[in-house]
Amino acid sequence: MIETVFLMIFSFGALIGAVAMFFLRHPMRVALALIGTMLSLAAIYAELGLHVIAVFQVLIYVGAVMVFMIYAIMLLDVRDRSFTERFSSLLVAGLAGLLLLLGVLVDGLLRAEPIAAAPVTEDVFRIGAFAIVFMDEFWVYFALAAVLLLVAEIAASAVIDVRRRGADAAASGKERGRG
Amino acid sequence: MDNAHLLLAVSGTLFTLGLVGVIVRRNLLVMLMFLELMLNGVLLSLAVFTQLLGVEAGAVLMLLVFTVAAAEIAIAVPILLLLVRAGHTLDPGAYGGLKG
Amino acid sequence: MNGMLTLLVLLPLAGFFLNGLLGRRFGPVFVNGVGVGLPLLAFLTALWAWRTLETGGGVPIIETVFTWAVVGEHVFEVSFYLDRLSAVMALIVTGVGALIHIYSIGYMKGDEGYARYFAYLNLFLFFMLLLVLGRSLLVLFVGWEGVGLASYLLIGFWFQDVTKARAGRKAFITNRVGDAGFLLGMFLIFTAVGTLEMDRINEAFATGLIPAGVATAAGILLFIGATGKSAQIPLHVWLPDAMAGPTPVSALIHAATMVTAGVYLVARMSGVYLEAPAASTLIAAIGVLTAFLAATIALVQTDIKKVLAYSTISQLGFMFLALGVGAYGVAVFHLFTHAFFKAALFLGAGSVIHALNGEQDIRRMGGLARRIPWTFGTFAVATAAIAGLPPLAGFFSKDAILWFALASGEGGAIWLWVLGSLTALMTAVYMFRLLWLVFLGRSRMQPETERHVHESPVTMTAVLVVLAFFSMIAGGFALPQYLEPLLALPEVRFHSALVHWAQIGFAVLLAVLGLVGAGWLYRDGGKPADQLWLRFRSLYRLLDGKYFVDELYERLLQRPWRWFSDRVFLRLGDRMLLDGSLHGLAALARLSAAAFARVQSGSLHWYAWMTLFGLVAVLIWVWRYV
Repeated sequence: MIETVFLMIFSFGALIGAVAMFFLRHPMRVALALIGTMLSLAAIYAELGLHVIAVFQVLIYVGAVMVFMIYAIMLLDVRDRSFTERFSSLLVAGLAGLLLLLGVLVDGLLRAEPIAAAPVTEDVFRIGAFAIVFMDEFWVYFALAAVLLLVAEIAASAVIDVRRRGADAAASGKERGRG
Repeated sequence: MDNAHLLLAVSGTLFTLGLVGVIVRRNLLVMLMFLELMLNGVLLSLAVFTQLLGVEAGAVLMLLVFTVAAAEIAIAVPILLLLVRAGHTLDPGAYGGLKG
Repeated sequence: MNGMLTLLVLLPLAGFFLNGLLGRRFGPVFVNGVGVGLPLLAFLTALWAWRTLETGGGVPIIETVFTWAVVGEHVFEVSFYLDRLSAVMALIVTGVGALIHIYSIGYMKGDEGYARYFAYLNLFLFFMLLLVLGRSLLVLFVGWEGVGLASYLLIGFWFQDVTKARAGRKAFITNRVGDAGFLLGMFLIFTAVGTLEMDRINEAFATGLIPAGVATAAGILLFIGATGKSAQIPLHVWLPDAMAGPTPVSALIHAATMVTAGVYLVARMSGVYLEAPAASTLIAAIGVLTAFLAATIALVQTDIKKVLAYSTISQLGFMFLALGVGAYGVAVFHLFTHAFFKAALFLGAGSVIHALNGEQDIRRMGGLARRIPWTFGTFAVATAAIAGLPPLAGFFSKDAILWFALASGEGGAIWLWVLGSLTALMTAVYMFRLLWLVFLGRSRMQPETERHVHESPVTMTAVLVVLAFFSMIAGGFALPQYLEPLLALPEVRFHSALVHWAQIGFAVLLAVLGLVGAGWLYRDGGKPADQLWLRFRSLYRLLDGKYFVDELYERLLQRPWRWFSDRVFLRLGDRMLLDGSLHGLAALARLSAAAFARVQSGSLHWYAWMTLFGLVAVLIWVWRYV
């Protein structure tokens, strides 16, 4: 019983955060709303027994992804039309799409048969057991994920190099123009 | 309705809100954040089913999706920065050069 | 020996390939060796085949080369059939052919297309042999078309001259019109009999089980093909134009061999025509009319080769007359003798043209008898032969035709004989006219030409002598009787020998009258004749215009057809329908591409919205209608 209440509270929290993202103007505030949503989700994961996942949600998603986004927001402090006008030209169509998709999903959910829950032991997702299973059966995917991260790192470095080269050329061009 | 259905409904709503947010907002950074919201919505439904069926594979998948999301952001944001350096605006309307 | 007939047919084909591919590289000696040697070898092979036939008692030799097609239960084979008729034809083709190849060495010397000429000539021999030796109508038709092709190539041999090229095209197209009839006849026969092999067709018709209507229809259709190939009315218009080709070509193809293919066809299919009296009557009527009208035109022609061309048409008419009254063997006999004297005449004309360095107008000749004696001598002999003076070859064959035209129990009639005799008289007149104007009397040549008159080389004159010799003795070969087991002579209406001798005497009288008349009319370079024509000016104009048949065809057929082709086929069909539909398809693709391209508007929001919409659609479809 308390589970349901707990879940309802944090679900509500996640939804509030998501809806708030719609109406906030400043990207920084939007980011904070998203962080709120993510934290609520982490609480929900913890309630479901996935403690490891909850921790990683906070560590990776909030701690890395959103922080990076906030860096980007701070760097690109642009105050043009994209700042003053919140909504695009497809607002009405977007809202109609919202209702449509929500309707379809809820309809599908209501029609669906109840899901049979398998008997679960509490300890399955404890960090010790989980880590053993993770490294034992799924180590290939772990390695592949590492490769993916390596590639992403290289790609990011390449992108940064281009930016720096471009910046240098632009700078020297400006100097020549002035001199 | 029970917990599973509740959480699944929340998951679907988060996903929908994320997609509509991409359609509706006029700022590239904000659109990126709505994409992250979509991903989180899907992750929630994955968590629900993992807990219901008790398979470790679900949890592993969630971990790996975190990894992918991180990698994705690591590349998307620099690209965005470069784009804005060149176009001087965060309005997606200014970047319609590839239209047919 | 097995494969003898195949060897015979393939020897000229080898000549075509060797000369065609290697002739230019290896020079005239190689070309002569291959181009003349192989036909000579073919002639020897033909002799050998004939001997084999005779020692076998005349039983037909059949050689199957390969199976062409098997369609359901019908088998179509390529096989050769040698009986007395095909043996005679093969000997004529290879014998006269080889002689003309030898003549060509002298005539075509120095020509730029020397190797090509011999290649085409050998190709013609190959197809002609296919034609006469084929067992089934299919093989014959392949040869039929092939000689038409060779004829086109050789008429338009000097194709840089547009007129000559057009003459070649005219010949080919006129042939094709006839071939349509030929094909329809083949289809009809195949439907009625179930086979295309000619010996089996003749047997089937002889049993009398095939309805007479089928025989008549098939006979007429095949004859239409024959009129195209053998230049009978109404498809005779190509032969005079075909004189644009080199003279040896005119001799070989348009006198001795190809044009006789129609005669061969009818004779070979005698089994059909014996059951179709209506068709035979038609053949006789067209034959004698063609003979008569062509002879009238020949009286006023001024080009030496054109006179001979119309003479050929006329003589072919005689052959068809004989075929039409059931005297098939006699027609072949005339084919045989005609090959010799007509070839001699054409080659003699070639010799004259060669001597006069290209002059072909007989009004500018005369007095050549002493300057080119060999040519004159052989030409005179051949002229006498064609006029029908005994005991030369033409007398025997032409007299037999006239006799059967009068007396045959299968269609002989007085009017046929009257027209035939008048034609014989005119033949004598125009041929002796030719002799007089070209060789005798005072010279009317251009002074420049006259200075360079010279006798032809021995390669040419020797051939002329051989041909003239055969023109003399060929009458001695009793061909009708030799072919009688195959082609029975018809029953004669008047059994009185007196009538026969009277007819013979009358024919000789006509020939002599012709000789004398021509001599008197054309003695002074043609002045008495010219004065005579002045009194019948409109008739002269009609004859000189060749009865305006070409003009009639132009007005009646070609102009409407050109209009139709332009309006319907070109503008409507080709431009509007075909090009239009292609342009339409392209426009459709362009427009639909433009419409679809509007989707890619460059707006990210729009793309995301479409993603949503697509997702909704898929979900609805999967969840409700899966």
